[in-house]
Amino acid sequence: MNKNEEKDLPLGTTGHFANMHKWLQRALFVCLVALVLEASFSLPGLLVWFGWPTLSMTEVCDELMKVRWSDDNAECLVPHPLYGANEGEGRTTGPNATAQDQWGIQPRPEYKRIGFRDLVKFRDDRLLREAEAKAQAELIYRTAGS
Amino acid sequence: MASTTFGVYDAHQDNSKQAQWRADKWMIAGTLLMGTGVLGIFGLPLFFYGLHLQIQAGKAGLSVRPLIVTLIGYLVIIDSSLNSLGWAMDLFANHSLINRVLTAGWGAVFDGGYFWHYNELTVGPYAVGGAGAPGEKGWEISLILGCFCPRLAAAIGLLQMKRWGQQWLIVTCWMGVIVWIGYNLNMTFYADVRYANITFPVWGWWIYDIFYITPFLSLPYLHTVNREIFTD
Repeated sequence: MNKNEEKDLPLGTTGHFANMHKWLQRALFVCLVALVLEASFSLPGLLVWFGWPTLSMTEVCDELMKVRWSDDNAECLVPHPLYGANEGEGRTTGPNATAQDQWGIQPRPEYKRIGFRDLVKFRDDRLLREAEAKAQAELIYRTAGS
Repeated sequence: MASTTFGVYDAHQDNSKQAQWRADKWMIAGTLLMGTGVLGIFGLPLFFYGLHLQIQAGKAGLSVRPLIVTLIGYLVIIDSSLNSLGWAMDLFANHSLINRVLTAGWGAVFDGGYFWHYNELTVGPYAVGGAGAPGEKGWEISLILGCFCPRLAAAIGLLQMKRWGQQWLIVTCWMGVIVWIGYNLNMTFYADVRYANITFPVWGWWIYDIFYITPFLSLPYLHTVNREIFTD
């Protein structure tokens, strides 16, 4: 590299490293833009993936908890009461535990995988299950009464 | 006035300083928004405008920072802010609605460590909450305090073209190399907790997180730049 070309280089960059600095600069620019866009769209993107606007944010939280502990009764309390019970209380251990795990030195979760807008489907399935159970209970009640 | 008393050189220095500060004001405003995560989309145009002003000033012959130093400095600030923000939410605001949707939801999609038995962690009788994956809380606390905060300060020093800024960025970027190796190995040893039954296991995490490789892009420059451009 001759003296004239050296003069055109950015301050602090020598000819020997000019090419590397050029490519680093490009990669840094890509990372900066990608990081900002990613951070911006994470919340709205996740909400849409889970089921918003069909589900509200609280309902998304609720359905996520139901998946986490494989428990239809898990509930996202908003706000969570100060000094309230641990969210996993009774769901992880104990006789009525619902969480699905293969416990071991390296535990393996067995909850449901959440695909695109699956939380809406999970909710609808659950409501259907609950309606059926209710109808069944009423039928038994009526049959017993007659 | 300096320009008349001390000549053209001082006038050039004054003009350069003013031009750099004018560009920095826009970039700082942009970075404040970009560091919040969700508002980043509004900060990006402000940052680009500042970057444009700096490039224009350079073309006009003024002595402004090398572009790559500007990019490293602001990217490190954004990277540190986003990491610290996410982990601070997991540590201190783990029962807020937004955290239980954003952080735990992100966990269900990219990293089960932030979904599996979320908000169950305790230390003795005391509730800690947040991610309960083995090792994760230790990383969060040590990296916010020991790596990201000092790195953020170093980036400000670098943007001011201070020697300590360059030196401390080298130190904290090497910490970043340890972070990448240690953090990923921890995830690997508990791969089932992190990746079993989540939406986009392993490859999803890499696509999402690869843009945090800032240390690997900064170190080769910081070690090969002529350090005389930084002042004591």
